[in-house]
Amino acid sequence: MAKQEVQDVKKTPLYDIHVKLGARMVEFAGFYMPVQYESIIKEHKAVRSNAGVFDITHMGEFLFEGRDVISFLQYIMINDLNLLEPSKGQYSIMCYKNGTVVDDLVYYEETPERFRMIVNASNREKDLEWLNDHIGNHDVKITNLSDERCRLAFQGSNADELLQPLIDVDLSKINRFYFAHCNLNNTPIFIARTGYTGERGFEISFENKYAEKIWNDLTNTGASPTGLGARDSLRLEACYSLYGHEISDSITPIEAGLNWLAKPKEDIDYIGKEILLNQKSKGTERIIIGLNLIERGIIRENYKIFKDGQEIGYVTSGGYSPTLDKTIGLGLVQSQYSEVGTELEIEIRGKLLKGIIVPIPFYRNV
Amino acid sequence: MDYKFPDNLKYTTSHEWVKIEEDIARVGITDYAQHQLGDIVFIQLPDLGTSVEKETSVGEIESVKAVGDLIMPLSGQIISINENLADSPELVNSSPFEEGWILEVKFSNYDEVNSLLSVNKYKELVQSEEK
Repeated sequence: MAKQEVQDVKKTPLYDIHVKLGARMVEFAGFYMPVQYESIIKEHKAVRSNAGVFDITHMGEFLFEGRDVISFLQYIMINDLNLLEPSKGQYSIMCYKNGTVVDDLVYYEETPERFRMIVNASNREKDLEWLNDHIGNHDVKITNLSDERCRLAFQGSNADELLQPLIDVDLSKINRFYFAHCNLNNTPIFIARTGYTGERGFEISFENKYAEKIWNDLTNTGASPTGLGARDSLRLEACYSLYGHEISDSITPIEAGLNWLAKPKEDIDYIGKEILLNQKSKGTERIIIGLNLIERGIIRENYKIFKDGQEIGYVTSGGYSPTLDKTIGLGLVQSQYSEVGTELEIEIRGKLLKGIIVPIPFYRNV
Repeated sequence: MDYKFPDNLKYTTSHEWVKIEEDIARVGITDYAQHQLGDIVFIQLPDLGTSVEKETSVGEIESVKAVGDLIMPLSGQIISINENLADSPELVNSSPFEEGWILEVKFSNYDEVNSLLSVNKYKELVQSEEK
């Protein structure tokens, strides 16, 4: 496993800290990121039982300003911005005209004319281009803050209790998906009650120059540095879609079971509306389902799924669940075989192992 | 990284270790290999009595992030497997050379033993992979 220094792979402001902590660094979405510090399982369990700190600076952060921000996003996004209010954020998806996904993301309404948006690391450039290409006559200016700000997630069952002493606002007043601008030990931050772990917690963003101080403040609470490995196993237990897996430029949000996102409003036009609403009312030929393995083994993405010898789909995400101590997965299968309780087979390196469709999420505590 | 390299063992280029006692070889994966795999969660092993060929894959070691093959260092017959690994595969992480041994094979071709790596050769291999 020879390590190659690839040119123009970026480092977050916390790179040196990760290396000093002994993290295994991997290239992910154009960044050197920690996949684990000591053990994915230990980090995963620390989040479930206490709290973890994640460097998510590789994700993109955009600022939207202008008179038409809301009407612009209402046209680009499938979720309904009428559900939003200042100081609140919203999970949403932007689709291509054919209903497949450009990206999933969260935006936050600071004022009706100023929004902050956090997007997937691997889609930063593509998203900016897509957004700018569709501004048209809208009075909207998009500023890319990704490289000047640092983003961390602080997630865990004890996240509130550990973080509150450092923060100068009452965290209990910030409801899920709401946010605030406040100070963490006198350092200005943006903080939102959002996350990707299925556990309580926050995501914060601040200027790069505070990175080391805030990282130290957060880990000094007793929260564990947590890498991308546990980030993935935590989100899989919670069944949050991952771009390129459950949603992608060839899978629609309706196929991914995210029906609730697609606004039905007659009077609102948005990209992908026709196909999404059609799929929502008539159903789709394929759908994302949850899987357990009955026989022992581990299922991983792209393994084929069979029913009575016939291929019916594939695993979109799979792995070992540290919380449940068993193999879990998500799969995209033909809808006629998607009922909970359906037994099927998953091909693992040439062998067919028995699995069963189970209700999802596997675990959530938010 | 500092890995353990017991000097009473023989090694393979695919990161197994071998402990020879008369015509029995105990086999596991090295400290370096378990570090590379990370948390091990499942090990698929052949049945007792199976005849195996040197340099073929006889098992799969699944970690949270990856899957690795267990490659036979020697030809022979499997006479013992570590039953504890069924419920505690993490023993391979915590004690790769002792409690985390994987299987034992009865072998007859001593030439194959001579082709295994010495501890020094294996250290050199790991150092070159680490670069």
